[in-house]
Amino acid sequence: MSSSLAEECTPLKRKYDACFNAWFEGYLEPAVSASITPAQRTKFSQEKAAEFEQSCGQVWREYKDCVQRAVKEKGLDVLLDQARVENPLKEPPTDSRS
Amino acid sequence: MRFYTQSFLYDDPWSIVSLAYLLRYPNPYSTHILSCDVISREVTPSGSLLTTRLILKTGSLPRWAPKGMIQRGESWVLEESEVDPLGKVMRCTTKNLDHVKVMRVEEHIHIRQTADGKTLQTTEAMFMSGFGWGLTKKIENYGLAKFKANLQRSREGFAVILNLIRQSRMQPM
Repeated sequence: MSSSLAEECTPLKRKYDACFNAWFEGYLEPAVSASITPAQRTKFSQEKAAEFEQSCGQVWREYKDCVQRAVKEKGLDVLLDQARVENPLKEPPTDSRS
Repeated sequence: MRFYTQSFLYDDPWSIVSLAYLLRYPNPYSTHILSCDVISREVTPSGSLLTTRLILKTGSLPRWAPKGMIQRGESWVLEESEVDPLGKVMRCTTKNLDHVKVMRVEEHIHIRQTADGKTLQTTEAMFMSGFGWGLTKKIENYGLAKFKANLQRSREGFAVILNLIRQSRMQPM
């Protein structure tokens, strides 16, 4: 697994990645089909979120706190905010191929 | 602005291609990726997974680049993805956060299951420079050429990850 942007967060990142990947494999192959009702979708969403929280919630919060601290320290939060504000191209233009 | 688009069909099911796509770093061809972090992630009420990742890449400058055009050869890239396991669609957008005056590169990936159980990936990329000094076109063309040249490497890297997943699926639990 690749490194974190901050060395001190890399061990947490690896723990989190391993946990997430195990959850994600199951998430990608749901037992229900696409033709379910909105209510069933909501139920699916809640179940998956609860499953994730139970197995990875703790390590996710530790890792996220570590990275967010590092992002601030490196001044990357400014860069991220700018990207969100500008965000000039939501959809690719189709008529400007030159 | 320069624009690039390409489609690719995998024989693998959608779930394997999507898994490989999120796990694609590191691979033996991704030595230019210095770090990759998840900065936000949530399951939406409709059941999709939204992820934002912050990736640090190294790159090289062309020889004709004016001195001081870019202070350092690294670039922060923001990757935003949406995975819908019920509709079997994955979307992913990446864009650079710094050096945007020199060049903005945006890549849109769309991975979806086809009717016959294969997986279609479409890639769209845009290269936009606001540099001026008569170099705008040259910079955009360079970005596009670099992107095309790197595609083969990134495909090979992706194939390594796909193979690892296929192999792990064949092992008895």
